[in-house]
Amino acid sequence: MSEMKKIKNLKEFSTSADRFEGANLLCPGCAHSIIVREVLNATNDDLVLSATTGCLEVCTAVYPYTSWDASWIHIGFENGSTAVAGAEAMYKALKNKGRLKQPDRNPKFVSFAGDGASYDIGFQWISGCMERGHNMMHVVLDNEVYANTGGQRSSSTPIGASATTSPAGRVSYGEKKNKKDMVSIMASHNIPYSAQVSPNKWKDMVKKIQHGMAVEGPVFINAVSPCTTEWKFDPKDTMMLADLATDSLVFPLYEIIDGHELNITYRPKNVVPVEEYLAAQGRFKHLFKDEYKHLIKEWQERVDANWSYLQRREEARV
Amino acid sequence: MANKGWDEFEIGAMLRSFDGSIDDIAGTAQVDRTYSPSSSYTASVADWRLVKPVFNKDYCIDCQFCWIYCPDVSIIARDKKMIGVDMDHCKGCGICVEVCPTNPKSLLMFPEQAEEEAEIASWPAKDEEK
Ligand SMILES: Cc1ncc(C[n+]2csc(CCOP(=O)(O)OP(=O)(O)O)c2C)c(N)n1
Ligand code: SF4
Ligand code: SF4
Ligand code: SF4
Ligand SMILES: [Mg+2]
Repeated sequence: MSEMKKIKNLKEFSTSADRFEGANLLCPGCAHSIIVREVLNATNDDLVLSATTGCLEVCTAVYPYTSWDASWIHIGFENGSTAVAGAEAMYKALKNKGRLKQPDRNPKFVSFAGDGASYDIGFQWISGCMERGHNMMHVVLDNEVYANTGGQRSSSTPIGASATTSPAGRVSYGEKKNKKDMVSIMASHNIPYSAQVSPNKWKDMVKKIQHGMAVEGPVFINAVSPCTTEWKFDPKDTMMLADLATDSLVFPLYEIIDGHELNITYRPKNVVPVEEYLAAQGRFKHLFKDEYKHLIKEWQERVDANWSYLQRREEARV
Repeated sequence: MANKGWDEFEIGAMLRSFDGSIDDIAGTAQVDRTYSPSSSYTASVADWRLVKPVFNKDYCIDCQFCWIYCPDVSIIARDKKMIGVDMDHCKGCGICVEVCPTNPKSLLMFPEQAEEEAEIASWPAKDEEK
């Protein structure tokens, strides 16, 4: 195995030479690219990457430009994971036959995809990749909505969010279905590593990505990606939103090793009320009307229940 | 276009990021790379901006928060020092200013047409309330 890149602190990290470029067409303040930079900069090894159709792909491969300084494949909306899995299978086969030109290089295989592409439309492809045991990492840029096509709900959209296909209005408070628990679903494939990450906690992110790249077998990462356009907040506040997400425990940070060993990796010193997280986003604005205020209380109860569930799982190692 | 057989498919597009080959990309700083014209590095989004960040190095502690959280690879860090903003790639989101921890801040947003030297000369003083 190649040596793991040493990243003791942010100063040392800042000596990284980015393999993702600016002048892409992502919105100002988009968190997708912050996540991508943290993932790519976690290693110096060669990279074989893919992106499924969605904001990241559409905005970083606008002909005649590419924003990627590594092998990067795009095919369709559903099959970014299998594109990388295919490349990984080919690599393994060539390696076994002794036909690699530079066998000492240690490429990392990573697919990036939106929540729409992962929780819904590419779901069975990812499940297949996890089940077949490819040596790859699938990273979800979870902005809880089909952002690229104008904000339709996905099975990651949380209760009470207004999306264009579940709009809040006179007769509805917006999305009514609970968010799918993808980290657990993927962990249930008994893969060596699955984790939830957030770009504000870059150290936790780097540690998890490096762990995921070091293990043999499939890895699933869910990264919260605050979306200025669809969550409706000022672009300058992207990192504030990420802070609110992790510190309100709406997006708790944890990892699951070998499908059962759950570790909480971040315990906020001061837990922020969920109400503050909701209030910072236009997509939840209607919840602050009198007739919907009870939903804020229910939100807090759901988050509390999930946090105690994670703590119990951590203790029980199941 | 001629009809394709069942085992033939339309070749997709392939874009090269660099002219020639770079053996160790992760070990080669952006300034030292030979980008091809199809890398978005060679493009500019400067005309997206209505406001721009101005960097005042007098207060900077080189913490690199701005470097890690800039979505557009526009904070130029060299040898662990923050040395400036890449104005071709900065979209003016303002995240770098929000995350800058110094007092007064070492980065502030100004209208795109503002004069950098004049703004640095009249930089706000330390905010005693913080
Ligand atoms: C099979 C298929 N269905 C639908 C689309 C249209 N489509 C393109 S991008 C997109 C939304 C992507 O959402 P998500 O995966 O969450 O990524 P985001 O844009 O939010 O980052 C949709 C529905 C498509 N390209 N292919
Ligand atoms: S719509 Fe959201 S996810 Fe898409 S580019 Fe804009 S900020 Fe990023
Ligand atoms: S304003 Fe935004 S894009 Fe420009 S340097 Fe700051 S963080 Fe980067
Ligand atoms: S965040 Fe502020 S203090 Fe830190 S390196 Fe950037 S400009 Fe300097
Ligand atoms: Mg999405």
